[in-house]
Amino acid sequence: MEQRSVPSRIGTLLVGAGFIAEVHAAAVTASDRAHLVGIVDTDPGRAAAFSRSHGAIPHTDDLAEALAWPDVDAVVACTPNHTHLGVGAAVAAAGKHLLVEKPLATTVADAQALAAAFAAAGRVLMAAHSHRHHGYGRTVKDAIDAGVIGSPAHVRLSILGGWIWTGWDAWAADPVASGGHALHNGVHVLDLATWWLSADPVRVYARGRHQTAAELRINDYLEMVVEYAGGEVAVLEMSRAHRPGSFGLRDLRVVGSAGMISEDWADEAAFLFTEGGTGLVAAAGVDGFGAQFESWLDTIGGAPPAMPVSDAVRAVELAVAVEESVSTGRPVELGVAA
Amino acid sequence: MITVYLEGAAGIGTQDHQNAMYRPAFEAHPDFQIVDDLAKAEVVSVAVPLDERAEAIGRLVRAGKHVLADKPMAATVEDCENIARLAREHGVLVVPAHHQRLGAALRSATAAVRGGRVGLPWNVQCDFLVAGGDPAPTGELVNLALYPIDAVHALLGLAVRRVHAVGGADLVTLLLDHDHGATSTILCGRVAGLADVRPAGLAVHRYRISGSHGVLAVDATKPGVLVRTAGGTTSAWTGPNTVAALLDVLSAGVRTGRAELGVADAIHAQRVVEAAARSLNSGQPITLGEAD
Repeated sequence: MEQRSVPSRIGTLLVGAGFIAEVHAAAVTASDRAHLVGIVDTDPGRAAAFSRSHGAIPHTDDLAEALAWPDVDAVVACTPNHTHLGVGAAVAAAGKHLLVEKPLATTVADAQALAAAFAAAGRVLMAAHSHRHHGYGRTVKDAIDAGVIGSPAHVRLSILGGWIWTGWDAWAADPVASGGHALHNGVHVLDLATWWLSADPVRVYARGRHQTAAELRINDYLEMVVEYAGGEVAVLEMSRAHRPGSFGLRDLRVVGSAGMISEDWADEAAFLFTEGGTGLVAAAGVDGFGAQFESWLDTIGGAPPAMPVSDAVRAVELAVAVEESVSTGRPVELGVAA
Repeated sequence: MITVYLEGAAGIGTQDHQNAMYRPAFEAHPDFQIVDDLAKAEVVSVAVPLDERAEAIGRLVRAGKHVLADKPMAATVEDCENIARLAREHGVLVVPAHHQRLGAALRSATAAVRGGRVGLPWNVQCDFLVAGGDPAPTGELVNLALYPIDAVHALLGLAVRRVHAVGGADLVTLLLDHDHGATSTILCGRVAGLADVRPAGLAVHRYRISGSHGVLAVDATKPGVLVRTAGGTTSAWTGPNTVAALLDVLSAGVRTGRAELGVADAIHAQRVVEAAARSLNSGQPITLGEAD
């Protein structure tokens, strides 16, 4: 392991004060190896509000100004997907480490450019593929790597929700700002399945829907089928299209040559029967965002990355292929853009 | 009593569904009586090797016999269509043994979906995994896939317009496009033997139907109870036996002249299977014509 000289507590700057910033801020403040040193948001009022609710940390709407603050060692970027290249390039140029929300970028070229910028700067870049750090993600990976089910051949992974984006002006529902749903959320399952299988994806076939409203500009439901070099197959669903609105389900199954791993919808929850119907109470588990943040700190300290940059680039390539396949209705061969 | 003659004791590979499934079901069913003389039989249960099946069924149909056909009913769509034509001409029933759709949970699910309980269905996800047993020499697409294809057809009642398939001989994934933009995905095949599943038993059999107004999640291995002992955990089916339910369908068909399951269902499933085989070979989705 390469050891770097790092501060005992890494000064961490948050960029972007949207809802996911709260989750990252909690991970920073829960760590005894880091502290929150400021917030940047293009909306000055939102930056100020975030500052007030987080111990009056410094705030600004100017990223360059914040990057020049003396106690900034690293940055967590929680900005819209299409800004990741610009924000990341500025962070690399300032010589800071970066944890950037997924996807790494909205095009393969942008993702590769970011990877190159951080490699040249000698700083750690990690994309926030948080599901690698959730309890279920790590448990499945450990079981596969331990050979419990023999050689994995098939992955089914579905993350289905009934909640839709906040409104027509939500950037996540904007195909330019988000890159599309495959890039915005699909990368979670695309990366996770590929990581579990430790396999090289070769082809993608995908189908999408505008289920909640025909006027949606991105697919609120995606089904993504990935074929791998060794013949493995992953069937992956990502949905904001299910009803009722309270619906939430994660469904996974990995079939191997000697057994299978599965997690059904009730395996991490308790049933709640009420006058309003039947629901689930999720069990308390590993804080995936906290584990992710600690993993990033480990990598800054010289540990091997839990989420290598090359894997984040590959996730972007997969998601771009998904969008193309949905558009054309045909399978898309991978590797052309690499 | 409806008299039935058992013809053949073979199938795909080492299968002997006649003696393993149909004979005990006929013996237990109150409407049927097994006879040893073909001439005295109203119904013939056909379980001959797949490459002989269409010829055998055709011969029996021409002789005026109703037929219970082991699955698949015939090896090709063309053979299935010939059987359909002959059955019409001779006024007899041919019931393919698509008994999985008749499981208690699936029958209720089909009624719920057709009754609008999830609104307009737009997607079905299905896993149909058998554990252990002898792999089919034909591949499991030919051997097993018709069961979930048929069940999805029963659930949705929508024609399949496009078929894409990925995978291999043991495990295949079918991606189907139906009328009205509905889609379905079927993972089907045979996995390694599992301690808690009898050889060639169903390890996973489930459906998730998503609709405009709700979601229905169906575990088609239910209703059942879990039996836990020092030797492991097994399940015991508490609902009606699917093969017994198949014979109910056959009996009602013989009595009324109309059966819930018929050659049209076998043709539908075989068309999808053949399109999937073409898709596996070409790597591309296969569009089915209006006639399909």
